[in-house]
Amino acid sequence: GPTPRPDVQPLPPGTHLLYAQSGRIEHVPLEGYNMKREEAKTLLHLPEKVVIGVAYDCVDKMVYWTEISSPSISRASIQGGEPAPVITSDIDSPEGITIDHLSRTMFWTDSMKDRIEVASLDGAQRKVIIDTDLVNPRAIVCDPPSGYLYWADWNREAPKIEASYMDGSNRRVLVKDDLGLPNGLTYDSQTAQLCWADAATHKLECMNPGRSDRRQLLDGLQYPFGMANFGKNLYYTDWKRDAVVAVDRYTGKESEEFQPQKRTKLYGLTAAYSQCLQGQNYCGVN
Amino acid sequence: DATKGTAGDCQPCPCPSGATCAVVPKTREVVCTNCPAGTTGKRCELCDDGFFGDPLGQEGPVRACRACKCSDNIDPNAVGNCHRETGECLKCIYNTAGFFCDRCQEGFYGNALAANPSDKCKPCACSPFGTVDQQTSCSQVTGQCSCLPNIAERDCSACEPGFYNLHSGKGCEQCKCNPIGSTN
Repeated sequence: GPTPRPDVQPLPPGTHLLYAQSGRIEHVPLEGYNMKREEAKTLLHLPEKVVIGVAYDCVDKMVYWTEISSPSISRASIQGGEPAPVITSDIDSPEGITIDHLSRTMFWTDSMKDRIEVASLDGAQRKVIIDTDLVNPRAIVCDPPSGYLYWADWNREAPKIEASYMDGSNRRVLVKDDLGLPNGLTYDSQTAQLCWADAATHKLECMNPGRSDRRQLLDGLQYPFGMANFGKNLYYTDWKRDAVVAVDRYTGKESEEFQPQKRTKLYGLTAAYSQCLQGQNYCGVN
Repeated sequence: DATKGTAGDCQPCPCPSGATCAVVPKTREVVCTNCPAGTTGKRCELCDDGFFGDPLGQEGPVRACRACKCSDNIDPNAVGNCHRETGECLKCIYNTAGFFCDRCQEGFYGNALAANPSDKCKPCACSPFGTVDQQTSCSQVTGQCSCLPNIAERDCSACEPGFYNLHSGKGCEQCKCNPIGSTN
């Protein structure tokens, strides 16, 4: 019979982890918190692209990604839609991307322009919100209910994790000591935990950004890059292990490793939930 | 297309050995879906991020994928360090530039290939008063800025002996001191 479209495969219901690997975006379904590795498949074939960051919009069930070979941001429905570019100009090296599903906007870091930008999900109403004191901005996450944005800059001279409101105001440094290469960052609204994975200190650490109660969850990580969370687990991609690794947040222990067949670096990672978390923020109101 | 019923319905994948392929229905384009390690692209003709080469020899002889060659002036934690086909370095650090990050950026001087980053490229920092057209660039090697008349120093920051008024913007003027009443 005819082969299915090789570039777009629909995603079955349930929660999935989406990760970027050498010219494609793959997914592995979660059963509870366990990765169903035998069901891992390609979601999107993007053979000429180098995909770095991935984000998921739980409302329209779309995946968004940043890409550096022809620098751009694109999106596609996870139910088998065509990939479509949304940002293609005035962008040099987009890396991290995050979606505020409440106000229907996306935020991204550009490591060559050294800035953080926001735009509506179709690419319109674009605006630079941070363009100072950035050297190697990479990971970025948002907390739609509270209206906060968090990002990490792996500048080797002075790495830091920062926070601001979603319009770039009220900017402040959350962490600057004992950091190396904070490549991965993830935020869980339910527990108000911001967690990061560092490829130089080899640590996984968390804090409540409002309390400055920083603590180490795990050390001995090899080379974390992307990061996501779901329920009790944190997940990160690792450049040395070519794997997605699961860590239990409460026991601080690695619970699982998934190494895709193809042995090559894994980049961005995000969780695609079957339902959005409830909430509303001020951007969504006006 | 196996449904036509002719001998040529199924053709081998136009991919390197071991790779599988599929047809995009809309365009009928054949793409490889499982390229050998280190390669990617519709025909496995591209190298992974951080590597460059021409694994299928599309532009000449086959060049296997190898790590970006950027004179130790890139950061391994960065992405997109070099062009995947040509190898041109795209993310030079330590104020270096050039195809292989092998020279100093405009406005910097020194030896881009020095072993120690602090010995690599230093800012020209030409004096705005003493430099022709207030240029910010200098000799790549010596760091000499191009000075206005009668101005000395690498960065054109001082008048030559016997001259004054560095801030004139036109070079320094002779002191014209009376030889009888002056001590030097």
